[in-house]
Amino acid sequence: MSAEVFNPNPTIFAPSKAKKTAHAYARANSIWLEDGERTDEDEADQSDEPEAIGQDEIFELIRSISDPEHRSMTLEQLAVVSAPQITFDPKYPDRITVEFTPTVPHCGMSTFIGLSIRVRLLRSLPQRFKVDIRVKPGSHQSEHALNKQLNDKERVAAALENPALLDVLEQCLSTADGTAYEE
Amino acid sequence: MERIDRLVRTWIASEQEQEIEDTVSEIAQGNATLLHIVKSLGDFLTSEEDDLRTKGVEFLSLVLSRCPHEKLNRQSVRTLVTFYCGKLEDTETIIPALKGLNTLSKLPLFASSDAVEVANALFQHVKMRVLVHSQRFVVYSIIDNLVAHHREAMKNMGDEFLRGYIGLAEGEKDPRNLMMAFAIDKVLLIEFDSAKYIEDFFGITFCYFPITFRPPPNDPYGITTEDLRSALRSCLHATSLFGKLAVPLFLEKLNAGSPATKKDTLDTLDVCLPVYGAGVAREFARKLWNALKLEIFQPTDPVTEEKALKTFQVLIQTIYAASPEDKGTENEIVGLAKDACDECMEILREPEKSQAKHAIKVLCAFMSTTPSVSRYTLARAVPHFVKLFLNPDELPNRAPTLRLLADLIEAARQSMSQDPEVLPDDGNVPLLPYKDEVLGILTVGLKMPASAYPAIDALKSMVLTPGLLTHEELGFIVHNVDEVLQKDEEESDLSDVSLDLLSTISSFAPSHVSGNTLPMLFTALPDRAPPRDAEAERVKYWRTLAALRKLCTQPDLFETLVVRFSTKLDLICVPSSPIAEGEDREPSAAYAHSILKTLADVLSIKIEKGHTDVVKYVDRLVPRLYNLFIYSALASEERPMVAPDPRLLAVAAQIITLVTQSLNASRQETFVKAVFAAYLEGDVSHLVDGVQKIPADKTFRPFEPSAPTSQRNLLVLLSAAVVPLYKEVTLPVPDETKFLDNLLQWIPVHAENAPQREALIHLIAAVVNRHADKLDDFLTSNVHVFWLSHIADSSVSSDSRKNAIVVFKWITKALLVRGYVDATKNVDRLLELFDDECVSWDAARAIGRIPGTDKVLTKRNHAVIKILYAQKYTNSVLPRIIEGAKTSQSSRQNAYLVALAALIKSVPKSTYADQMPSLMPLLLRGLELPDNEIRAGVIETLQAAATSDDKENNIVTEHAASLVSTMLKNSLVSQMPSVKVRVAALRYLATLPSVVRYDVLHPQKATVIRELAKALDDPKRAVRREAVTARTNWFKFTG
Repeated sequence: MSAEVFNPNPTIFAPSKAKKTAHAYARANSIWLEDGERTDEDEADQSDEPEAIGQDEIFELIRSISDPEHRSMTLEQLAVVSAPQITFDPKYPDRITVEFTPTVPHCGMSTFIGLSIRVRLLRSLPQRFKVDIRVKPGSHQSEHALNKQLNDKERVAAALENPALLDVLEQCLSTADGTAYEE
Repeated sequence: MERIDRLVRTWIASEQEQEIEDTVSEIAQGNATLLHIVKSLGDFLTSEEDDLRTKGVEFLSLVLSRCPHEKLNRQSVRTLVTFYCGKLEDTETIIPALKGLNTLSKLPLFASSDAVEVANALFQHVKMRVLVHSQRFVVYSIIDNLVAHHREAMKNMGDEFLRGYIGLAEGEKDPRNLMMAFAIDKVLLIEFDSAKYIEDFFGITFCYFPITFRPPPNDPYGITTEDLRSALRSCLHATSLFGKLAVPLFLEKLNAGSPATKKDTLDTLDVCLPVYGAGVAREFARKLWNALKLEIFQPTDPVTEEKALKTFQVLIQTIYAASPEDKGTENEIVGLAKDACDECMEILREPEKSQAKHAIKVLCAFMSTTPSVSRYTLARAVPHFVKLFLNPDELPNRAPTLRLLADLIEAARQSMSQDPEVLPDDGNVPLLPYKDEVLGILTVGLKMPASAYPAIDALKSMVLTPGLLTHEELGFIVHNVDEVLQKDEEESDLSDVSLDLLSTISSFAPSHVSGNTLPMLFTALPDRAPPRDAEAERVKYWRTLAALRKLCTQPDLFETLVVRFSTKLDLICVPSSPIAEGEDREPSAAYAHSILKTLADVLSIKIEKGHTDVVKYVDRLVPRLYNLFIYSALASEERPMVAPDPRLLAVAAQIITLVTQSLNASRQETFVKAVFAAYLEGDVSHLVDGVQKIPADKTFRPFEPSAPTSQRNLLVLLSAAVVPLYKEVTLPVPDETKFLDNLLQWIPVHAENAPQREALIHLIAAVVNRHADKLDDFLTSNVHVFWLSHIADSSVSSDSRKNAIVVFKWITKALLVRGYVDATKNVDRLLELFDDECVSWDAARAIGRIPGTDKVLTKRNHAVIKILYAQKYTNSVLPRIIEGAKTSQSSRQNAYLVALAALIKSVPKSTYADQMPSLMPLLLRGLELPDNEIRAGVIETLQAAATSDDKENNIVTEHAASLVSTMLKNSLVSQMPSVKVRVAALRYLATLPSVVRYDVLHPQKATVIRELAKALDDPKRAVRREAVTARTNWFKFTG
């Protein structure tokens, strides 16, 4: 990794709170208050309704990845990724585009950030999904090269052969599980 | 004399222990003196042969070290000192001579003049470099003795002694010797006039900093890194003279050291700086700040950052504590505090940036330094934040601004005395001068969603700062937070933190909350339940109830809550216009249930906190509940009522149990008398109290065979009153055995539903648990008859038998918990049922669940509980289950597996940990049973076993391959319909990589990753989440 610091003092954004759909102790579809005797899992066992993978779930997967330059902060805190930047193709429900915004247009870490999102999703999404990763239009000086590189299977695979790179990547991904399971 | 000669000669030839002991005993008995020994040794001591001289002196030193002290006189000590000092010159005798001197230097007869002589001789003749570490240890011991017992004489030796010692101590490397040397160094530095040799002392102490010693395995002396570190540290801060020499060295270590060195350096600076003093601190202030700044603003890890802040605090304290304390010096702060503050303020002009977080930490650290510095810091920072907040251009940055301000206010609070008894006088509340403007911007911040969170945090810190806010100001805050509560329409955490603030305020100033917040909340509660489809209104009253639950634990507020809720319950359950036939009663019942549940929750929080006001609600709340439910049950025989719903009864029972728990034995006795009068004799007059009058023409007889269901359902409230009784309380019945037997007969014949059955089962269990010693007849004959007629008899319907097994299980449990010896005999009976296909699994589950915890037989409920009952039970039952599972066949074997799965789920892990090797194959077979509940339980047990400690991991390793394939099977939706099992299996898979060596699991890795890819597409979100974690762990798993 280069020792150059691209953005020594980035702006921090408050993480969005996960919205609660119902009251904490109210059960869906019931007029009775939860009496604490039953758990969520019993509940889940009873309903067969499938829950589709959505924007929020994909965002949960990538929000807590650490920023390679500021390890103590997540991509979400630096507003590199956000839920609205994850979009599904209306025609093909298995095609997803994930957009991210580098903190500064000359950020040399952008490829690495894209790669970490790519690897996280490769590991965590079912294989039927086709994921397109792009930088937000106009947010980076070498946007085209970057997009091309991130969506080139061969180049992603080649990058993962590099043990030093993989090591840093694992470190950034090691936080990815962190907050996603708090609720 | 000849004997001594002989002993000496023998020893010189053989070097055996025996001769030494014999010689010592000769001296002890007075048959010989040391003089005799010297004489006998004569030739050897002056022998031309090196070896003989060594042995001669060695013998003398050995005898001397064991010789009783009273056998020595002043003269002999004197002679021996001179003799040994002379022997130091001889390279062949120096080692035994040192040993001899070591013994002598501890003796009371050893005079100061001897000490000087010994010291001089040591400095003159001992060359440390040629001695091995254990011999050097003797030298240090001698010096330690000299310094300990003859300190004045050593001081009088002056430079000679210090120079000599430094010469000896230089270049020492052995940890045990260093421990000794550091202790001596410390004394010399503190008590001796060491100024002239300070550089030499610096040389022989600081060269060891930082300690990087790692104790070798099986170190016989057991010296740890920490021992050395703290011994050295006590030298480093022994004198302020080190200051100028030491700080540059510390700076160098800070700039270039490893993380461990940095931490050690910071800790050492913390203790050294105050000793080195303000002068040195000021001299190096700039350089230290620069080094610390790096650790604070670009932290490598949180611990170092924390330590750097601490050191910085110490530095500021050292510099400014010395200056005389007088108020009004805010503007005169100069030097480091001002410079650092300037730098931080510069950064804080951009509160939204990441550096601001570090800058505020520095300012927060200032708060706990000296009063003048903290006043200065607040004077700079608070007006800055206020200005920033009010600047229209900075509107988007209000939230981060308040966050920083909140941190500072909290730091200011923590800097004050934590003793609640000490009220600070006006001048000592640092934030006081700014409270109006701060309160102003905080209340503005409250109104915006983003900045509301930091505003509430800041308000909470202010509220908790003693002596800061007036009564009126607290009211003002409550008023503003109420508005936030009211406006918060969507379900957010904001309500939670607002309520938290309000309940903080109510804990010491309840009047604002009871006068302001509570009326607002009570008004929000409707008098009638919203209809079934009015989801929004229902959510609204739930939220209001949740708010009340959070606020009303304080005694005054709880009293109001009980009064208002009792009235509300009457309004809902007995409305003025009667309920029409066929009207939907469920929404009303659900509303009443929510209210009762809130009461129960608050009560249990209060009991948790040890509030004593719970007791009085046996008169204020409990009679009203009984009244409402008995009235409703009787009235429901004619018209539809809301209250007789089992779910409401369950919560009411919970409340009654909670209140009864808190009574003392004699109050319980009168209470239970009233309850029994009502249930057994129909006399409710002492039990009930309330608006609705119990109709006189109806009788309350729930045990009558003809009693309607609504009356029988009320048995739950009878049981609720008995379950928490002390064992001293006798039941108000003429014959307990007969009473219990009646209940036992009543259950299978008259009980109509599960709540009725459970109520009586719990009642029987509670009574048996308290009074088993008086119930021998019941436990032998009555229970035996019950077993024969309701369980063993296979002509009885299987449902009825299953219910009876539950009764039997509870009786056994009640006995086991109190440590009754025969409890396990009942297990034998249950084992008899294993061949009976109809009930074998029920019997098996009962065996497993007997030692499990429950909500009835608890400490809180005053049950008689012997410690380790679960352990004893497991010790006796588990081997039988294992044996049975191994030897029996098919269905019988399955029953044993069911019992095993139930047992390990209900007892603590420690009770079966040592059996794990034989359990493992059985548990794996248990995973094949066609019961999802059992499978999930088994997987959870395996999980607990795998994560707890490393001892059993060999077992996991041994079965790794089959565990992986079984878990994979249980984790895919195509093969396992139960979400619970899938989640448990995936969690187990996620754990495996951290407990099993890579080379064992390597062959499975590709399969697991491939199979888990399917689990990623599970229809359930909760399962997918576990799959992601599991798969990630396997990806990272490399050799």
